[in-house]
Amino acid sequence: MLLSVNNIRKQFQRSADALTDASFSVGQGEFVSVIGSSGAGKTTLFRILNGSLRNDGGTVLLDGIRFDNASSKERRRLQKRIGTIYQDFALVENTSCLQNVLNACLPDMGFLSSALGLFGKERTEKALCLLEKVGIKDKAYEPVKNLSGGQKQRVAIARALMREPAILLADEPVASLDPVTGRQILELLKQLQLENGLTILMNSHNLELSKEYSDRLIGMKAGCVVFDGPADTDTEYIFRRVYRNDGECSESDKESECSCVKESEELDTEESERSCNKQTKSDVCGRKTGEP
Amino acid sequence: MKYHRIKTAAAAAAVTMVFLLSAVFTDCSLTSFISRSSHLTDIVCKMFPPDTGFAKRIISPLIDTISMSVTGTFSGALLALLAAPICAGNMKNTAGIRWALRLIIQILRSFPALILALLTTFLFGLGTFSGSLAIGIFTFAVMTRLTYEDIEAITLKPYEALASMGAGRGRAYIRAVIPEIAPSFLSNALYLLETNVRHSSILGYVGAGGIGLLLNEKISWTEYDKVGMILIMLFLAVCIIETVSSVLGKIVRGEMRAGKTTKQAILIIAAAVFVFCTIGIAPPDMSRTSLKAVRAMLMGFVQPDMEFFLRSDSGGLAYLILETVCISVVGTVLGAFAALPLSILGSEKLVPGPAAVISRILIMMIRSVPFFVYGLIFIRVSGPGAFTGVLTLAVCSIGLLSKRFIQALEALDMRPFKALASMGTPISSCIRYAVMPQLKPALLSSVLYRFDVNIREASVLGLVGAGGIGAPLVFAMNHYSWNTAGAICLGLVILVWIIDVASAYLRKCIAR
Repeated sequence: MLLSVNNIRKQFQRSADALTDASFSVGQGEFVSVIGSSGAGKTTLFRILNGSLRNDGGTVLLDGIRFDNASSKERRRLQKRIGTIYQDFALVENTSCLQNVLNACLPDMGFLSSALGLFGKERTEKALCLLEKVGIKDKAYEPVKNLSGGQKQRVAIARALMREPAILLADEPVASLDPVTGRQILELLKQLQLENGLTILMNSHNLELSKEYSDRLIGMKAGCVVFDGPADTDTEYIFRRVYRNDGECSESDKESECSCVKESEELDTEESERSCNKQTKSDVCGRKTGEP
Repeated sequence: MKYHRIKTAAAAAAVTMVFLLSAVFTDCSLTSFISRSSHLTDIVCKMFPPDTGFAKRIISPLIDTISMSVTGTFSGALLALLAAPICAGNMKNTAGIRWALRLIIQILRSFPALILALLTTFLFGLGTFSGSLAIGIFTFAVMTRLTYEDIEAITLKPYEALASMGAGRGRAYIRAVIPEIAPSFLSNALYLLETNVRHSSILGYVGAGGIGLLLNEKISWTEYDKVGMILIMLFLAVCIIETVSSVLGKIVRGEMRAGKTTKQAILIIAAAVFVFCTIGIAPPDMSRTSLKAVRAMLMGFVQPDMEFFLRSDSGGLAYLILETVCISVVGTVLGAFAALPLSILGSEKLVPGPAAVISRILIMMIRSVPFFVYGLIFIRVSGPGAFTGVLTLAVCSIGLLSKRFIQALEALDMRPFKALASMGTPISSCIRYAVMPQLKPALLSSVLYRFDVNIREASVLGLVGAGGIGAPLVFAMNHYSWNTAGAICLGLVILVWIIDVASAYLRKCIAR
């Protein structure tokens, strides 16, 4: 799936987390990290991308289809292809891991069967298989509240995968985890990217981890994209561009960003070609995906 | 530090003053109570030995009583589950609808079940249907309030996560919000079921079915051995329900493990009980309800008698409300003083097991007797008037207060006490500095909660001639003077609202 964000804007009355002019694109199978200091607009960007917030201007294209002003039916269809995981997991604490994963099926189910929790054998098997994949099958019937942070994030990933998303948005997935567990989660995400050709867009505060696990970095400052380049770019350079002299993003920032974007666009095509070849023909559970 | 002490002292002095003034206002007199206390034991002695042959006649109305409370509690609680998300401030609902529904809930909450039953009997005829409806409305109001407060206290992130996946709001609410509030919701519902059994045992007094009718009849005919039998059966019923409810409560709160099959069995049994109870409810008898009467009733509530509302002499509304408040204040404080020793004796932590069990049974016996039985007993001691109301409320408060006090005592951490004692501190100082600071917030908030309940209960004491706002209200309703009834109801709504605001403020002060 090709995600392309063009000049999106979002203004808030009180909050500082606004977007002034953000553009970038993400190709199939890429692992991209969005970095930037607090208030740079990262979270707002993510909320627009998963459809819980509307942008004021600009466009969001998913495989060339406009997502931001799509009809509600079309929007829901596109939303189904976007999975999200959150910093604080957003799981229902009192129900079991399995039930939480099954919750991802709700959009496709009737009211009565979802109210009674009748998910059917097939969905349950798939959920169990996903829990196995994220390495937490032994806790399937345990209430989420009894789990550790890392285990909760694994359940959240399984829930996101249940929708067979084309793109996974990870909103600071490791910010509330300890360093070791955080690495394990990123390891898992990386594995999903490589094995299943999952596109991952991660929002991160940790530059070191982002550089280590992602292919590409997008730096944001004051609501604009000020850096877009490969993950092995010199740390000192990224620091200067993204984190130094906070505040408005100046014209010079944007100009140099343009050159950067061009650079990365070339890299984009290359990368997407590469990932297209790499794209496996099986879904996350290892079953063949012949059907449309 | 010094400022804080002055403030505490001032608060204590203010509470004492209010208590003393209220006691004087309600004609409390210890001497007359002691001199006439022989009358107190009179009736109690006459109840023994109870007429066991009478038990056969009791069973059917007793089942009616339980049916009314089960049906009312179930349906009221289910409706509350639907209304709560509309009332919760964090659910992104329309503000206008939210405030309208909250207002309705607040108005309904102001009336005790008995007054609601009086209204429903006017609309749906005498019988168990009116009783169930009254219990249902009462439960709906209380449960909606508790549930939307619960929703406001949890994080809605899982709900939003499901909604952003494209699951509708209804489905997201059922799957992501209800599981989180379920333990608290179910324990509230169980607690209400317990109270409702006691409430519905008096509804017969206004003709809304159940055992109250029989009880009232036997008291009026002074057949005290039969009254004794009714009370014993009622006590047994309350015991069974409270035991079942406490076991279920433990499962719900996760203090007791239950397998999946056990849970399913409980669900099926609960559903069966609900169906059985609902089938047992007689259909409404609307034959005597005329549109004209309903219209007169509505008009009375829309156009309350403002002259009566604003009168300031002793026959006016203000005086009656003041009397009601004073009865509640004195009744609650006296009840708290009586509950303290009982709960210390009932706490397994402080008293050996068997002794604690005996005190607990005593507390449950006190709880299971309907309030107007107390009213009728005390009226012989202190005569009709506010003092009888005070005594009745005091005894009625003992049950709930001791239950809460015992919970607070059980939760007590004894380590600070032992630490102080090991330093050679005298016992009195140990209690003052290691026990009281832990108990104080829990005790005060229970007393405050009971005061809240008592304001409502006090408004029905008038039924037995025990003063307060209840007598004129029931009198007005029975004589179809709906404008006066409307004025009194308006007064009650405003009173309960003021008490709500005040107690929310005091609760914050206690928590600090």
